[in-house]
Amino acid sequence: MAINRQSDAPLNDDEIKLLAPVGFADDTKRSATAVLIDHDMRYTDSSHKGVEILPLQVALERYDWVQNLMFNLIAPDENELLRQSVELLNDPIGHFVYVKPGVRLTQPVQTFTLMETPQRRQFTHNITVIGEGAEVEFISGAAVPARVQAGHHVSIEETYVRRGAHCRSISIERWGTNMAVDSYSRADIGENAEMISTQINLAPLKQHLSDSKTRVGANGVCNDQAIVFAPEGTERHFQSETLLTAPGARAESISRMVAAGGSISNRALLIGAAPNTSGFLGCDGLKLSDEGEIFAEPSLKALNAQAELSHEASVGMISSDKLAYLMASGLDEDSARDLIVQGFLKLQDQYVPDEMRRQITEMIAAAKSGGM
Amino acid sequence: MTNSLLELSNLSIDVGDRSIIRGLNLSIPSGETHVLLGANGSGKSSILSAIMGLDPFKVVAGQIRFKGDDLQPLTTDERARLGIGLAFQRPPRLEGVTSYAFATALRAQEVFGREAPRLKLSEFADRDLMVGFSGGETKRWEVMKLFLQSPDLLLLDEPESGVDLEHIATIGEAINRLTDSRGDRSALIITHTGLILDHLDADVGHILADGHIVHTGDPKTLFRHIQQAGYAAPAA
Repeated sequence: MAINRQSDAPLNDDEIKLLAPVGFADDTKRSATAVLIDHDMRYTDSSHKGVEILPLQVALERYDWVQNLMFNLIAPDENELLRQSVELLNDPIGHFVYVKPGVRLTQPVQTFTLMETPQRRQFTHNITVIGEGAEVEFISGAAVPARVQAGHHVSIEETYVRRGAHCRSISIERWGTNMAVDSYSRADIGENAEMISTQINLAPLKQHLSDSKTRVGANGVCNDQAIVFAPEGTERHFQSETLLTAPGARAESISRMVAAGGSISNRALLIGAAPNTSGFLGCDGLKLSDEGEIFAEPSLKALNAQAELSHEASVGMISSDKLAYLMASGLDEDSARDLIVQGFLKLQDQYVPDEMRRQITEMIAAAKSGGM
Repeated sequence: MTNSLLELSNLSIDVGDRSIIRGLNLSIPSGETHVLLGANGSGKSSILSAIMGLDPFKVVAGQIRFKGDDLQPLTTDERARLGIGLAFQRPPRLEGVTSYAFATALRAQEVFGREAPRLKLSEFADRDLMVGFSGGETKRWEVMKLFLQSPDLLLLDEPESGVDLEHIATIGEAINRLTDSRGDRSALIITHTGLILDHLDADVGHILADGHIVHTGDPKTLFRHIQQAGYAAPAA
């Protein structure tokens, strides 16, 4: 498969094959594309004049205002890992996406990270701006070839969803089994804006930290769901903070976690800081064996008397009643467990593009059977 | 070896330390529909659960033979694949597992498409199983499940309980369709209220009392007896 390109070196067929399972499609099906390989922003292209997609370094040189967005939502010295990563980097590596005000993209924007070199230390910084009243859908993914098992990926994402804009995104990651990944995402959702995101973390890796903070403006909406799987040898830590800053801001966060010998911790904090804000945190865990652990800690903080916040958390094993019911219809135990796990991890369909649903279902089945 | 599809011989069933069934004998030949009548708590459901191999129902004496094979060494799924299907009285909620996903797991999507309208379940393809189902919807689904599984022996545990009168007819007709569609298919149906008998072509009825079968005869005649005299065996 060849892809149309305007800049940089082409993606080869092997690279395209690696990225396809995490959402990559050719330019005819996407409004814009960015692909980072190791430390090389290999490919950026936009087929729609309403969206600009550039290597971050180019964007910083081309637009004065971009520098004001960088490290605006996160401090470069927020922790020691970030401080070291930022200091080691001379030129920022990552992409800049700008969807112009009022533009409604009918095809998604796609961005990918590929690590092709074993034991690579990769640090990326991405900035996304969705202009006032714009509408866009993002597909992003990360992948490594089978030969890359160890390495460290650190990323910063700063996302600005301007007033009245709508953004829907899905992110799928497939890293190496001995890799460490630290992801820091920060988002600012403006007045009457909406951000709906889905994060798919199914493939095994050694250690994963996902740290996110989101500010939601007046009548803004932030809905997110995370589908998380931890086989033996995988440790995942999720920490999130959602701040409802202005009247009418709303948020809903749903996490579905399955531990099959690995460990998952999920600490989520929802803060209602203004009148008529509302939000819900849901953390559900399913443990498939006695090994590993699931730790779920949803927290609520109301800074205003008219903030309505709630949460639910549950962790359990697969119920023997459910297993028996399915086996009584002729399914063997493994097939019955798979059906229950797939049901538990079920995506809220409205958040996920049609073309991605089948791929995710296949990944869930493969993750459960240890085939990833 | 008999020509019975299902043969329960001197069967005793315990749940924990409690004896539920003692020395029960029952034979169901191929192609016959039998009805088991009994008071609440008489152990009717325990018999179906033991046939299916479900916990915590333990066969402590006697034998269950199906198609001539002793079921005791077989797991629940092996029994199902051998040709036994159970419509549960109170199936669990299966959050996230849709009706259609279940049908797909059984490779019976075509059957689902054909039977769902007849059982008034057309709108249920994307519904999670039993989640938010009414009593009647649950029972109709359990019969649908038997269509998807297509077993040789149908076990139905109170298929009419919690179902409004209109839908009892739907369920009875569906069970008849299941049994009529294959001449060698048999059924053992538990009923407490007996209402399903108005819509069912049953061949033989049994009264269960004190842990064993106390009388066998025409199902409708037996039910009329029970309405007048309770679950005691009719006088000879």
